[in-house]
Amino acid sequence: MLLFQSEEWIDKWCKRNNLARGEVLTIQQVWELSKLWYHNRLSLEYHGRSIEQAQEIFNRAGLVSKFWYAVSQT
Amino acid sequence: MNDTHLWQIRHFVYSHFADTTLAPIVDETAAHFNISTQEATGYYKELHNRHALFLDLDSMSVRMANPFSGIPTDFKVHANGKTYYANCAWDMLGIPAALHTDAVIEAVCTESGESVQLEIRDGEITNNQLLVHFPLPFARWYDDLTFT
Repeated sequence: MLLFQSEEWIDKWCKRNNLARGEVLTIQQVWELSKLWYHNRLSLEYHGRSIEQAQEIFNRAGLVSKFWYAVSQT
Repeated sequence: MNDTHLWQIRHFVYSHFADTTLAPIVDETAAHFNISTQEATGYYKELHNRHALFLDLDSMSVRMANPFSGIPTDFKVHANGKTYYANCAWDMLGIPAALHTDAVIEAVCTESGESVQLEIRDGEITNNQLLVHFPLPFARWYDDLTFT
């Protein structure tokens, strides 16, 4: 996941690398996602998470577009 | 292979990262658990297969234990008097989230190459105008984890 100063820099990067634009989140959104995703990562009890649990975290972070689905959907 | 040992080893690797900013080499892990290097290597590989760690399979070193990076990157996180490296723009925020601490983060805009700094202070983030681009949808994250 890549850091950019503005939308313009993202567009330039996509064009230069001939890659389609993915999903863009504000740094605030990513901070909220990070807290949900990583808060228990150092615990002995953390044994990974299922795809369903990952999707639940995305939902809680307000990330509900197809981009965040576990299986590609057309 | 013992599942209890497996998760204890995962926990040891993460604790080692948190305490030292570095991953333990296989020999250190073997010594800590009083097992052979061969056994420790087997546990490392199993954790890699379960996506709990990401190994450089040539050197058997831990390349990533998200959010921590085993090698220097453009995402430096200063926290608890130490400097950690994160794997990406998401993980640079994952380190203070995992450590439950304030942090000062030095990073680089991927396209402009300019240095940027942000801070986590009392659970709030500064420098709100920055953006994070996720190039691949979630369904493809494990196709090529280094690119992701």
